[in-house]
Amino acid sequence: MKIALVGNQNSGKTTLFNLLTGTNQKIGNWPGVTIERKTGIIKYLNCELIDLPGIYSLSPYTMEEEISRKYIIQEKPDIIINIVDSTSLERSLYLTTQLMELNIKVIIVLNMVDRLEKKGIYIDKDKLSKEIGTDVVEISALKNTGIDELINIIKNCNIKSYEKEIFESNIENEIIKVRIKYNVNRFEAIKILESDKLYSKYQTQDIKKLREYLETTYKMDTEELFASKRYEFIGRLKEKVTNVKPAEENISDKLDKIFLNKIVAFPIFIVIMFLVYYLSVGVVGSSSTDFVTNLIDKFGQTTRMFLLQSGASNWIVSLVVDGIITGVGAVLGFVPQLIILFLCISILETTGYMSRITFLLDKFFRKFGLSGEAIIPFIVGLGCSVPGIMIARVIKEEKEREAAIILTPFIPCSAKLPIIAMFSGYFFGDKSGLVSASLYFLAIAIILISAFFIKKFFTKGMGTSFVSELPEYKLPSLKYIVKDVSDKVKEFVKRAGTIILTCSIIVWFLLSFSWKLEYAVNIENSILASIGKTISFVFYPILGTFSWEAAVSAIQGLVAKEQVISSMNIIAGLGKDLSSSLSIFNSETFSFFTKPSAYAFMAFNLFSAPCFGAIGAMKRELGSTKKTLKAIAFQITLAWILASIIFNVGTFISNL
Amino acid sequence: MLKRRQRCILSKLKKGQRARVIGINLDKTEMRRHLLDMGITKGTEILIKKVAPMGDPVDIELRGYELCIRKEEMKYIEVEVVE
Repeated sequence: MKIALVGNQNSGKTTLFNLLTGTNQKIGNWPGVTIERKTGIIKYLNCELIDLPGIYSLSPYTMEEEISRKYIIQEKPDIIINIVDSTSLERSLYLTTQLMELNIKVIIVLNMVDRLEKKGIYIDKDKLSKEIGTDVVEISALKNTGIDELINIIKNCNIKSYEKEIFESNIENEIIKVRIKYNVNRFEAIKILESDKLYSKYQTQDIKKLREYLETTYKMDTEELFASKRYEFIGRLKEKVTNVKPAEENISDKLDKIFLNKIVAFPIFIVIMFLVYYLSVGVVGSSSTDFVTNLIDKFGQTTRMFLLQSGASNWIVSLVVDGIITGVGAVLGFVPQLIILFLCISILETTGYMSRITFLLDKFFRKFGLSGEAIIPFIVGLGCSVPGIMIARVIKEEKEREAAIILTPFIPCSAKLPIIAMFSGYFFGDKSGLVSASLYFLAIAIILISAFFIKKFFTKGMGTSFVSELPEYKLPSLKYIVKDVSDKVKEFVKRAGTIILTCSIIVWFLLSFSWKLEYAVNIENSILASIGKTISFVFYPILGTFSWEAAVSAIQGLVAKEQVISSMNIIAGLGKDLSSSLSIFNSETFSFFTKPSAYAFMAFNLFSAPCFGAIGAMKRELGSTKKTLKAIAFQITLAWILASIIFNVGTFISNL
Repeated sequence: MLKRRQRCILSKLKKGQRARVIGINLDKTEMRRHLLDMGITKGTEILIKKVAPMGDPVDIELRGYELCIRKEEMKYIEVEVVE
């Protein structure tokens, strides 16, 4: 049996899905969390449950609506569970009136009933059930109440097709005429009368006459007519089944008086973003990273001693210590910083503040051809570009969505953080916090300027959309945040154990062997060196010197950005006389770095093509290889030009 | 200052004002369809509830829920001031 979960955005669908299936999908207190449909199996029942993106109507206005509408109409689930935000009953039931036309059994789930009392709303569930002729269950997905009853109803549901007439008789008569003429269901008949573009083949003279009759009778076009009549029906229903006391100003409204205040809203926003940054990238984050890096160093030394004592051959010691521990350790050292960053993003998402950010910045972003919604991919992209790129689907306007997909990788993601932290930490000492902050601002500036140019030259007249709501502020659920953060950290550590581990071994091999496969060759004669030397000229304008070591490391950023650091560590360690307690910038290999070239190299790694994972996501979301290649060419060119300018201008200034 | 029963477009209203929808001045477009779907139909009462610090977008209350909407869309909504 197939059951579809349908409801408005932010109605608690994903929370209910997780409760029913026992999985743990991402939840956010902002619209559009479910961006693809997801399938799970309901515990105790052998039913497939499909979580569809949140929609307000079955008219395909957004991409999410398109996905949901297609699924429901083409795949015909056996049951629709219509989750309804009981605190916004009227708007939620609008979708219900459309679901009631599909000849599919509908179970109505009134969610968030725990919040009704506070809002002064009373709903007579039994009366509602009687009035609309189908099952109604009250639940609170957040508090986990009413779920058993819902499961019982699903279990005992002897599927009856379900349809309900809700309009006055002269409208119903017209609908019946269309249904008889074309042998279609109620939903399709109404769409034909509305002259929906998907049903254009049905638009004959007869239909035109029926439509004209309705339009002259009601003095409005059929689209407006059906929307009004649906809301009229809901209005009458609401009269009968609910009792609303005038609500007092709620906490969210009070908080919004501060967070959306004309004068303090922006200062608060800046303080919050600064806090996120300060905790994860700044002092707190970097000192925790120093601590872990030290531990890993000690571990490396101990392992070396142990291996040597137990008589392991030189190359095994080198592979384990210089290859694996150095490479993987360089990345693992940043785990504490990532935990803090993921924690901050998770809190922003679940409290509802993220939606306020889109509301606040919409007008500003629009000057550059983006909407406030574009900030969601950018903020999520602070964690990882892949979900950032995927979440860009919340943007309705196609051109704007494409711009956001191409620009999201410019945001310094968690994997780029190690690069920034390592370079700015060493070269800018006390000012390292300021320097890393400047890179974030540079990223924002580049994004806005690029968006402006994309709009001006490539996608003329790009419109933007803003379809959002301000959800109520919620205290984040500790349980959820712990789970969310640990999932993301696990993913990062898993990458360190798989991709980074493999690459570290490969880099070690390419560095330790010559083309003739001789071990322990001078590093200058290694395979990697010869590859690097042929391409190092590309980086000359950025580094001011030919460094094959930096060149091969930067290119490995394609595999994973943190690999740049791993590779540099392995090369420095294998190369010359690096005593382990010192930074790789004290080694002969990388001692050429100056402040300008360090900054330029960071900028290059930040803005050039993202890792393969993100490139894959870009291709999926842009839906075209050509567009993806163009986007990557754009990113690399921009990164190269920008880094060259930074290096040359920086060097010029420091020589003054 | 807008007077009671005066006709105007929704974007002219200030925070805290209420108005009743007369109609949407748009041809058959996606935007119009969306506004209708969200419940902005003839006779609906709208309250201007929250305004973003830069003056746009605006959070309106209608039919017992809140909706964020831009000035750009609001100027197509013809209303009659209630208070």
